[in-house]
Amino acid sequence: MFRIAVRMLLGDKSKYLSLVLGLSFAALLIAQQGAIFLGLMQRATGPLQNVGQPDFWVADPKTRYVGEVRPLSESDLLRVRSIPGVAWAEPFYAARALCELPDTSFKTVQLFGIDRTTFIGQPPMMIAGSIEDLRMPDAVIIEESAIPKLGGVGIGDTLRLNDQRAVVVGICRATSGFESNALVFTTFQNALRYVPQPRNSITFILVKSKDGADKAQVAAAIDAIPTLKAFTGEELVARNTEFIIVETGIGINFGITVMLGFIVGVIVSASIFYQFTVENLRNFAVLKAVGARSRLLIGMILLQAFLVAIVGFGIGVGLAGVFSWGARRPGAELAAYFPWPLLIISFFAMLFCVGAGSVLSLRRVLTLEPAVVFK
Amino acid sequence: MTLAPAASPVPSAARRVVAVHLDNVHKSFGAGKIAVHAIRGVSMKVHGGEFVMLVGPSGCGKTTLVSIISGVLDADSGKAEVFGVDWRSLSRDGQTIRRGEYIGFVFQQFNLISTVTALENTAVPLLIRGVNRGEALDRAAECLKLVGLGERTRALPSQLSGGMQQRVAIARALVGRPRVLICDEPTAALDARTGQQVIELIKSGTRELTGGAQDRCVIVVTHDNRIFHYADRIEEMEDGKIKERPSDLVMEESRRVHDYTLDPPDEPAPK
Repeated sequence: MFRIAVRMLLGDKSKYLSLVLGLSFAALLIAQQGAIFLGLMQRATGPLQNVGQPDFWVADPKTRYVGEVRPLSESDLLRVRSIPGVAWAEPFYAARALCELPDTSFKTVQLFGIDRTTFIGQPPMMIAGSIEDLRMPDAVIIEESAIPKLGGVGIGDTLRLNDQRAVVVGICRATSGFESNALVFTTFQNALRYVPQPRNSITFILVKSKDGADKAQVAAAIDAIPTLKAFTGEELVARNTEFIIVETGIGINFGITVMLGFIVGVIVSASIFYQFTVENLRNFAVLKAVGARSRLLIGMILLQAFLVAIVGFGIGVGLAGVFSWGARRPGAELAAYFPWPLLIISFFAMLFCVGAGSVLSLRRVLTLEPAVVFK
Repeated sequence: MTLAPAASPVPSAARRVVAVHLDNVHKSFGAGKIAVHAIRGVSMKVHGGEFVMLVGPSGCGKTTLVSIISGVLDADSGKAEVFGVDWRSLSRDGQTIRRGEYIGFVFQQFNLISTVTALENTAVPLLIRGVNRGEALDRAAECLKLVGLGERTRALPSQLSGGMQQRVAIARALVGRPRVLICDEPTAALDARTGQQVIELIKSGTRELTGGAQDRCVIVVTHDNRIFHYADRIEEMEDGKIKERPSDLVMEESRRVHDYTLDPPDEPAPK
């Protein structure tokens, strides 16, 4: 009978297509809204997206958001370096600067200062020039999507950062932050010159454990210093995300949007599937009349629901994937991040949507009087 | 009230098993002032081997009565037994199982699943019972051959004429070898010639599949008086009750009023 259930589902092409398209739309809505939310959360992690070398990001223990940090001192850096098990510890600087453009307009840029010897904290990919060129005077490397934002600058061009000379020596590829400011990389010393700081000037200390060292012990040793805490990248991302969700309006506002997407998805898919069942009520009544028990009908409806959920999910998530893929191209303003857990969550959300529709359908079919076959 | 014609080969009622027994059955729809009393104290027996027609004007309660006989509708009061078991003594699932085993249906609107083939439509009652798919399809193919559709097993209902669809419905009704075959206006949606063929098919098909067993019966609801002469017995309904009028009288009256048939049989129709 399950083959018959499948044939009932697939047999009427127009009904099946409208069912699948409706569910695909619901799946797209759920997955895409989720991906945008995660994309924004990811962008909010700023430099964490682009720096992959360290095991730990050392910062003040009260740090909750990468854009709101208490600077660390040179002595903090030396203390961390002295801990057994630390292979290296390098300063990392992040600040905003004002960039004046040749046409007299100006832009805020996100400036990153990295160690000029080791280049720890360097951008993930150079697409023109060399990272070593940062050792030249006033050298900066700009992220490729910043080129149009900064008036089409190229290698060799000169910018003014906070009224200081900066020479473009390379173009890199990196992920923009929350504010979509142009990213500019320079040395730690240059960065301090462009955006001077009072006594303490280090935004984060990037730490790598020695091979074979117990990372937990290294982290504990850093945490033992009262003014410092060693965060793994994941821990810092989690704190950052929690801050964004709890302390800003993004959590509630976007949460409502995601929830609306989910509710619309439930309503759309539930109503479409219910409509499909209603259109087949006579068939179900005949099956009841000729001896189909409730559990058989339940099995048939759930099978139909599961099949359309799978197909609708596949198409919807595929479209959401294409959407997210578009967001991955360099310089894309679109924030969408589609990790595999979102795929699983979307799948279960889809099952829930169709399940809700099935409950209505089952209720209708199970209470259906087989006597309607005579009408 | 009703007597089978003397020439009938069917054994006398006294010697035959009672297939359907209705005793003072009542059924109403709605309540209070708007209540409609569809069945008002109907009592009747249908014996094994009988081909009974239930006739009467629209709205007289024929369909409600066969709904009760077939267990798709519960009577409000009274007894509705099929082979000695009252439907109301069974649970919902019990009714469904017994209906699957004992009752076959032929509907006015065919009620075929539009998206599956004639073969699969025919096999549905067997598949529901859990019969192996291969065996179910083999038996369905035999039944389709019996009703003259052996070459159209792969056709969808939409690719068949109305008469062919009704023949598929007959094959579906017969494939499970039901002990009571209920036909609700089986010729109403068909032209006169096709209707006559269909009723002959119901009669011959039932005989062929059951080997002329005397423990099975056919109840046909109809107001198509062109097919009355196929009945062993006619029960006439009016206003929710069985009228006390002999079958022969009903048939004769019908012949007088509607003095025509298409392809009239050379001999008296088989009873």
